[in-house]
Amino acid sequence: MKKVFVTGMGIISAIGNNTPENLNSLRSGKTGIGPAKYVNSNYGKTHPFAEVKLSTDELKSTLNLKNNHGLTRTDYIAFTALKEAIAQSNISTEELSSEETAFISASTIGGMCNTDELYKDANLISSGSEYVESYPGSTHTLKIAKEFELSGVVGAINTACSSSANSIMLGAKLIKSGRATRAIVGGTDSLGKFSINGFNSLQIMSDIPCAPFDADRKGLNLGEGAAYLILESEDVIEDKQAYAEILGYGNSNDAFHPSSLSEDAVGVVECISKALKSAQVNPNEIDYINAHGTATGNNDMTELTGISKVFNGFPPFNSTKSYTGHTLAAAGAIEAVYSILSINNNELFPSLNCNTPIEPFNQFPIKEHINSDIKTVLSNSFGFGGNCSSLIIREVT
Amino acid sequence: MYITDLYSISPQKTFNNSLFEGEVEIIFGNKYYAIEPNYSELIPRGLLRRMGKAVRLGIGAGMPLIKKQNNLDGIIIGTASGGLDDCIKFLNQIVEYNEGTLTPTNFVSSTPNSISGHLALMSKNTGYNNTHMGMGLAFESSILDAFLLFEEGDVSKLLIGSVEETSEHNHNIDTFAGHFKDVEIPSTDLISSNSKGSVRGEGSSMFIVSKDKENAICELADVHQFTYPKEQNIEDRAIKFLAKNKLTSTDIDGLMLGFSGDNRHDFWYENLMKSFPEATIYTYKNLVGEYATASGFATWFGAQILKGQNIPDEAIYRKTNRSQKNILIYNNYLGAQHGFILLKGI
Repeated sequence: MKKVFVTGMGIISAIGNNTPENLNSLRSGKTGIGPAKYVNSNYGKTHPFAEVKLSTDELKSTLNLKNNHGLTRTDYIAFTALKEAIAQSNISTEELSSEETAFISASTIGGMCNTDELYKDANLISSGSEYVESYPGSTHTLKIAKEFELSGVVGAINTACSSSANSIMLGAKLIKSGRATRAIVGGTDSLGKFSINGFNSLQIMSDIPCAPFDADRKGLNLGEGAAYLILESEDVIEDKQAYAEILGYGNSNDAFHPSSLSEDAVGVVECISKALKSAQVNPNEIDYINAHGTATGNNDMTELTGISKVFNGFPPFNSTKSYTGHTLAAAGAIEAVYSILSINNNELFPSLNCNTPIEPFNQFPIKEHINSDIKTVLSNSFGFGGNCSSLIIREVT
Repeated sequence: MYITDLYSISPQKTFNNSLFEGEVEIIFGNKYYAIEPNYSELIPRGLLRRMGKAVRLGIGAGMPLIKKQNNLDGIIIGTASGGLDDCIKFLNQIVEYNEGTLTPTNFVSSTPNSISGHLALMSKNTGYNNTHMGMGLAFESSILDAFLLFEEGDVSKLLIGSVEETSEHNHNIDTFAGHFKDVEIPSTDLISSNSKGSVRGEGSSMFIVSKDKENAICELADVHQFTYPKEQNIEDRAIKFLAKNKLTSTDIDGLMLGFSGDNRHDFWYENLMKSFPEATIYTYKNLVGEYATASGFATWFGAQILKGQNIPDEAIYRKTNRSQKNILIYNNYLGAQHGFILLKGI
């Protein structure tokens, strides 16, 4: 099995339009959650959101793409992160369009961020908008494939809120097995009436900035963003800088409820355990956990239960969703980038808004900025449908 | 990997053996609706009423297979749109109630992974669980995912499958996108229609795949996918794919092609056909219609051929006297996404 290295990262979120901006915000404990400027929903007036701080037109004009027809905010956000990742890894146009380069992405909202156009197109109120072929969650992958002339495996995953953790996993496996030498992996999601009303109907959308792992947490804030990693096989990286190694992964299903996790954390325990096994790492080697930490009553309690069952004591953990909100299909990839930033800079970022820890665990997430030697990180992602995934990322020595 | 069990719900009577006993449904118009079995023994009535069609088709085809297994290591589903109709129903509520207090049922079942999630929930399967939604290659990606799992060595048996539903709403959107024919014709004329657009089909085909040959119906030997090829003739790619499997074009006894009657995309099949002069050519979209994961049905149909079923004349485009051992499935979706699947007899 080939080793899989990360040679490039790109990210756009509520706390920055690129990797250095995201790092600065994490270091200074500056959240991106706040009053909405662009959200087209009544809840924009009553609830905070974690918006990307650029309008769709601003995103579009910085990108300078060959073809903008039918592109939505979800697509522009994806392109922005992708271009940064490609530039950082310095892969050539030929390498990009090689049959041995895979592209695996994810999105839950896709073009449905244009909720009003979709409503009109689906109900024959329009005469057909320019977005009729843009709605499914996978369409950004085809637009990206066309723009960059990708010719290898182009795939899209949907496991709801754990989607891009599974993109990373699949890309890593394609390289490990020798079926690809490079893989571009990640996910993208933007804010739209559809997901806002969806999470609101489940009564898990907080009207104040979210407080992951706090006993009095009120739910999640929705965010938007994208992140992509360039993965390369040990066979081709030569003297290129590698930022981290994708060491292991685990995927399971909690098989308990369509939209919540079981009290005994069956799926969580199974995916973490599988990840440790596949990475051949002992629990005590994990220096830090980037938790799923949505700040819903159900998630945070179950995640702590799961961690307590696998680990002997709690490793330092945080939820960077206190900065980015829940970016759904982008969350796994965004949090993988943050995990790598912690490894590369040997620092841990504070989890925001936790004042009272959850009983009976009584565990505070990381409270303040810490400089500490970080070698091995576990990143968790869980989604509706019981989908649980964990990644183990390690420093390159 | 080997296919050891299979089930399909489609616009033909495929949930039982009728299709192979001479009962071919002739369908008129642009929508080929699935003929569904009675779900009453499988799904409690209350749950069934609330369930969207995609989830119902997926459970209807998947659960009969899962129920026969003791140790299933995971579930992988390919679906381009999942419960899109639930999605639009939820969207309609958003607009009609001006973002008021809504019930979450449609929202939760609208995500493509609710099919694999429901299958896991109903069978208490905590193993590997994934959903591929890459449009015309979502099923091919599911096969690839299964290969990777088998190669890692931790699993021995998986459920893989394809699901797609037809609803008024997705039909409206795709009509705007120009996917369908302007005139309504019978399915018997679909392949030769030589006009723009095709028809919409739906259904779910599910498979138990195993790394062991025991009780195998056929081998699912390999899969390959590519997007936006620059050339218009993909013969070289097919030959390369076969060579990787130690075969040449003359080893292929059956070529299953995705002719959809859309004259913008059917030339791919005509070009490829020329490289396989000795093979029997099969079509299937005149039985079940065109949809993103139709290659799931093609795989089910190919496995039935290798099982020795009596194939209806409607599905035979060109007959040769070759006995069927190696079947190559080639499908493209809207000319953009292309996939090969190789089946081998036991």
